[in-house]
Amino acid sequence: MNFKLPWSGKDSHKDDPFWDFFVNTAPADLTNTVTELIRNAPAGNIFPTKAELHTPEITASHVKGMAQYFGVELIGVAKLDLNAAANPENLPFAVICAVHADYDPRTSPGIGGQMPVQNGLFITFVLSSWIRELGFRATVVRDANTDALAAQAGLGTLNGQGKLVSREFGAGVYVADAIYTDLPLAADG
Amino acid sequence: MSKAEKIEPAIEENRSAEFPTPYLGRTVRIVGPFVNVDMNQSPHPKNQRGELGKPLFNWYHNTVSKDPLTRVSAPNHFADRRHFLSTVVNQAAKGKINPKKVPVNDPVAMARHIKAVAHYMGADIVRVAKAHPNYLYASGGGRYVQDGTAKDEYASYTPEQMARTFPYIIVATTAWDYNKLQAHRHLIGDAAYHVSQIKGNMILKALEGYIKELGYTALRGVAVPQAAGIASGVGELGRNGLVISKEYGARVHMPDPIMTDLPLVADQPIDIGVDDFCKVCRKCANTCPTNSIPVGDKVVHNGIEKYKINWLTCYKLRPYVHDHWGSCLTCAVVCPYTKPKTWWHNLATTSLHHCPYVLRPVLVKFLKWIDDEFWGMVRNARVTWLGYDSGVKPGEHACTVAGCTASHEKAGAHAVSGNTGYYAPLKENTNRFVKREP
Repeated sequence: MNFKLPWSGKDSHKDDPFWDFFVNTAPADLTNTVTELIRNAPAGNIFPTKAELHTPEITASHVKGMAQYFGVELIGVAKLDLNAAANPENLPFAVICAVHADYDPRTSPGIGGQMPVQNGLFITFVLSSWIRELGFRATVVRDANTDALAAQAGLGTLNGQGKLVSREFGAGVYVADAIYTDLPLAADG
Repeated sequence: MSKAEKIEPAIEENRSAEFPTPYLGRTVRIVGPFVNVDMNQSPHPKNQRGELGKPLFNWYHNTVSKDPLTRVSAPNHFADRRHFLSTVVNQAAKGKINPKKVPVNDPVAMARHIKAVAHYMGADIVRVAKAHPNYLYASGGGRYVQDGTAKDEYASYTPEQMARTFPYIIVATTAWDYNKLQAHRHLIGDAAYHVSQIKGNMILKALEGYIKELGYTALRGVAVPQAAGIASGVGELGRNGLVISKEYGARVHMPDPIMTDLPLVADQPIDIGVDDFCKVCRKCANTCPTNSIPVGDKVVHNGIEKYKINWLTCYKLRPYVHDHWGSCLTCAVVCPYTKPKTWWHNLATTSLHHCPYVLRPVLVKFLKWIDDEFWGMVRNARVTWLGYDSGVKPGEHACTVAGCTASHEKAGAHAVSGNTGYYAPLKENTNRFVKREP
């Protein structure tokens, strides 16, 4: 039996004969993956009564605290360009969530390799629903711009491929879908 | 005598020959004839049909929570169903079983793998039970129908056929956050309960999908969670009717487990001294706002010897408190086993496990004394979290966030000072609608 250290991360699964299947074999039926279910779920309505808010700085810290409770590891708020084509609803802020990624989801199609995506979708689904229940607009947006917004929000810097590199996780970080919102927040970075 | 009555004893005999009475640890014992549980006769389905009266029916179907997070995370009281993740996850179409089956030569390795996978997805406890007909819901529509449907090609199977075809039940569960839970009977405690619940539902759905991708069947809504939880050794059954685990105490969910034909190795029931503790402690029985937890001994209910709570009086509390909080959780919080996951909690449960039976009452009294000294009869710690504050009386509005200069229309009331949370004297308040036994 191998000696395992608690911080050895993905290497602690070296003696597991099925781990490679879990991480690298693409699902035969995408309906079996939670990521597909959550991504295809339509957004709900905005609650008709706006919640009483604190100052934008405190509201931003509460949004971050809530996301941390949902499991986010890096979070920041980026200011959006109101007139950009990528922002058709003209929303002022983007909440950017990121989680650590033991495996790069772009090269590990298995359910295990997609785990950062699943964790990210859990956070963005519940967090955006919560913002809508607070009475404000919140749209989950997936586009090529997300990593740049994450860098803008102070989560890290971009590498040559335009992918986020963070101080905490290096390149092993996955930026979840951005949440565009008109909730009065204080932007980072 | 009708035909059905003639056939029944034969089935019973077969069951005892092929499936001997299982050992479920020291807290639960199967002592008599057992009738499989019909999920349709359990509290929520009864209430959904309006059998528990108008106030409860109305509470279940027609109330919207005042709290935004509850509207997102609780199983009803939402303003928009689409914001509730478990609806999305459970209503989804079922995926197909992968025709390319992954061969499993070593069930030990597979059991280790499936536990590693569930933990990797975020589950806190994962155990495997050997399937037994007694753990399953009654056949013929007795299954647990989630938001979607429990229909599959095995709906007509008897519990015996099910246990034969699918020999393992995987119980994967999430724990509630300890610190938030201290503000029980409060929206902060609700957050601890509900958010870990939706997370757990998602993990189980992902695990179910993964088992299908391995090429094996994964069924939901088939097994009774508490039975599978005790048989697999997630925990032991306490006086409060909750499964009490070693690491987290009673602060774990008992979600719908997965029944499967994936070759695994079953775990055994555990012994952490819950039986000895519950004989002495009675903290939950004394603090239950509705006196739904028995102070007396175990009873035999449906052939099973255990502590039997009065679920109806427990359930009836809910519409009365709906404006202020959703889930009571008092019995889980006051339980001496419900502690943070620390070395000293591990030390206590481990010493209970190794203590000889005859000496356990002494050890239990000592541990109970420590618990009373440090935690008191009921926790009333003041918890503040993201603008929520258990120091504010339920129903009143006050902003206690340090440095907040925003003008709040509703805020006006003052929070209680110090480290004590607002603690409603609930026993007195609930006397007027819960009938108590003399």
